[in-house]
Amino acid sequence: DVEHSRAYIDQLYSNDSQKCFQAVSELKFAVIGNVREKGSIIEQGIVVRLLQILRTPDMDAILKTEVVTVLNSLAKGLPEHASSLVQAGLLPVLWEQLEACVGGGGTNVYIQMVLCCLRSVYRQGCAPPPPAWDHKLLSTLIQHGYHPPSNQECVANILAHACKTCEQQQQLVEAGGADLIACMLCSPVTRVQLPALHCLAAMCFNNERVSSIVSTKSYGGKAVPDLLVGLMARDRPRELQLAAATSLTFLHRAGALSADDPKIIFKTLQCLVRMCRRDREVWERVEAANTLAYLTEVSTELQRTAAMTDHLILTMNDYLKDTPTSATNIPQPLCVSPVSNRQYENPSTWPELMLEAALRVYASLGANDEDIRQKVIKTEGLMNTMVTALSAASPPVQLAAVRCLHSLSRSVHTLRTTFQDHMVWRPLMTVLKTSNSEELVKVASSTLCNLLLEFSPAKEQILDQGAVEFLCGLTRRPHPGLRLNAVWALMNMAFQAEHRVKASILHHLGTDQIFRLLSDNDVHILMKTLGLLRNLLSTKAHIDQIMQCHGKEIMQAVILILEGEHSAEVKEQALCILANIADGDMAKSAIMSNEDVLKKLMNYMVIPNVKLQTAATFCISNLIWNVEDGASERQNKLRDMGVYKLLQSLMTTEDTGLFDKVKTALQQFH
Amino acid sequence: MRTNVETDGEQSGSNEGMKPMDTSEWLEETNKMHIHRADMNKLIMNYLVMEGFKEAAEKFSIEANIKPPMDLDQLDERIRIRSAIQAGHFQEAMRMVTALHPEILDDNSQLYFHLQQQVLIELIREGRVEEAVVYAQDHLAERGQRDPTILNELERTLALLAFDQPDTSPFGDLLHPSHRQKVASELNAAILKAQNQEETTPLLDELLKLLLWAQDELNKKKVQYPVMTDLIKGKFEEPK
Repeated sequence: DVEHSRAYIDQLYSNDSQKCFQAVSELKFAVIGNVREKGSIIEQGIVVRLLQILRTPDMDAILKTEVVTVLNSLAKGLPEHASSLVQAGLLPVLWEQLEACVGGGGTNVYIQMVLCCLRSVYRQGCAPPPPAWDHKLLSTLIQHGYHPPSNQECVANILAHACKTCEQQQQLVEAGGADLIACMLCSPVTRVQLPALHCLAAMCFNNERVSSIVSTKSYGGKAVPDLLVGLMARDRPRELQLAAATSLTFLHRAGALSADDPKIIFKTLQCLVRMCRRDREVWERVEAANTLAYLTEVSTELQRTAAMTDHLILTMNDYLKDTPTSATNIPQPLCVSPVSNRQYENPSTWPELMLEAALRVYASLGANDEDIRQKVIKTEGLMNTMVTALSAASPPVQLAAVRCLHSLSRSVHTLRTTFQDHMVWRPLMTVLKTSNSEELVKVASSTLCNLLLEFSPAKEQILDQGAVEFLCGLTRRPHPGLRLNAVWALMNMAFQAEHRVKASILHHLGTDQIFRLLSDNDVHILMKTLGLLRNLLSTKAHIDQIMQCHGKEIMQAVILILEGEHSAEVKEQALCILANIADGDMAKSAIMSNEDVLKKLMNYMVIPNVKLQTAATFCISNLIWNVEDGASERQNKLRDMGVYKLLQSLMTTEDTGLFDKVKTALQQFH
Repeated sequence: MRTNVETDGEQSGSNEGMKPMDTSEWLEETNKMHIHRADMNKLIMNYLVMEGFKEAAEKFSIEANIKPPMDLDQLDERIRIRSAIQAGHFQEAMRMVTALHPEILDDNSQLYFHLQQQVLIELIREGRVEEAVVYAQDHLAERGQRDPTILNELERTLALLAFDQPDTSPFGDLLHPSHRQKVASELNAAILKAQNQEETTPLLDELLKLLLWAQDELNKKKVQYPVMTDLIKGKFEEPK
């Protein structure tokens, strides 16, 4: 038999097209269905010869068709087989051939096989996405997408798997892709509808503009969103239902359909929840749950509806408990959307996939509503599972667990009770310190922020874990989201904290870093840094201690803000800090001795912004406070500068808050 | 005094109190259902076309004055392939399928395995032991390595070799003609799918399945009714 196989391989290189055809035919029978043979043929370098045949001008059409049939079969092998083909230069040859067939240059069968081959390669996910499509190629492809069904299926699959970037999404729509998809959705053939749905999902994902265009397309008198609803009907194959629900989900998240659109809240949501039931296959449950998590991530209305639908919260609990065994009939090949990227061939990965999916759903459901959070928290075994998952080896599961934790940490009640019982901060800190994933650290640090709120009993314990040093380090990270969370966390930490905590923060952060943060491009970071300073400079004793060590730099920082181009909101914060400093016994002198600052305060008292005036007045009020030592000297000085007169002039204000402050201040003057 | 009793529970629990319908009543009720002759004809035509009875379909089309759902010449390839299978020529059938629809065997690896398994079974049935072992080694061993379900089936098939009278062995079902039929139907369905037909099994099949399922549901709820025990003859068993 080895003899026999060698013979036909030699014949492949024959110039006699009859002999060559016979050899290619034999090759075809050898490789179809046989993975080992595919690998062997590729290893022998035969692909080069096959491509050569295709490129030869005036080569017999039947021979070429047979060659493409072989290449198609090779592409259906293992992913590395498809990669080898791509590396050997298959794709440009196929595109060339397709172009050459324009205007009746090739038989229908040949065109079909070329499209099949392209589709098989792209489905393996190894075709490198070009930064952008070749416009002419895209048009040709789309033209072929209208007829017959076999070609339609190929074109839809190619587009679905190749559409990865925003630019490609845009190009696809501009080249008429949305119209094509609308047409395909109305095909009577499921094999066409399914990849069309995947293509739709790929086009619309995260793209506001494309989604809005797609949602207005129609075919046969029905708008695309309505067509999608029809495809979610229960008598449709499950993959179809899921794909349609996914498309609608993406349209909603990209803003083309609102949360209260009945198609979303009364159809899509239900379809997805239905597919999470216990009697469904693992791939359905996992895909549906993940899509559901994405669907309900933002809208409170959807979260509330989902939480009430079909005992969803209990159903998710099943995900945590079930140990699904391998089904004997995994649909082959499994038609999951290319956007999903999940593999289901290995049953040992299923428990983890289920766990991740359930945690993501809980994270979404509990994002905004306290009642839902309480229901979720009561889920049997969830806390333990979540804490364990935080330390899990698998990053996707960790991320899902942190997200879930984050949502639940928005509940004050939970912070005070359950989180304390389970010491979630411990694995959370480990995640923060050891993770490489920016996304993970961002969500974890957000969670930490919540845990550090004053009323959280976990606060003390977290401090012992070197949290301060760690967070100060985070403030130096390039990612603005991380910096913000870090500063925010420090701000929370400093609120009504002991002096040692405040000192630790200042020590690890350093005044240099504070300056840097105050010069940050992101105004939120700036605001939180000012908030941090404010919290640090609270309670008299602390104010004095801190100003003694860092007074000069802090004054410089405040002046920097007051002199800089900032919004009134920012300046108000700076003035409040001054007011706090003015509250300290010793610290007062830092302001009093600075004529420039005093003049600024006076300016702010008369600036036409009530909030700024109020803050400035409050500061003055603290400076002249009667009870304290040296009050008379200070009052005299300020009176000489004209502060008293200014205060009097402010008595005419209509704002009650300001009026009260002014009156209080005036009363202090002897 | 009954309070707080769930109405649901009341209803399902009280089936025992229901009088079982006797056969004549049952038949009376069912006779009230009216099936259109045109629908019946469509069902029959669907069966004939699906299963590949071309001549019968052509004749039936004329006699019943009903248009066939597709061009009947399209049946030819499926007929040829089914003939090959019925004659036990599985290798030939595989080549025919590949020539007509090159993607089928790549896309349906389970089907491909069943076809190969059938080749193996035929070799064993004809006593060509050495060829059987070589075939198993060349074509099936590697697949068995990768997929445990296939390995299991492969082992069962090869185990036939251990018996003097394989058809009475525990794996004798593999040698039964019904196994061949199963594979033939599987292949037929795959071809229909490749031809972009939405249905791949005859609707009559689905109807009978529905009947059996409905009876099963009634049995689960312990309802007494005349059970159709013989689907071919339509015979009932009286409720007890």
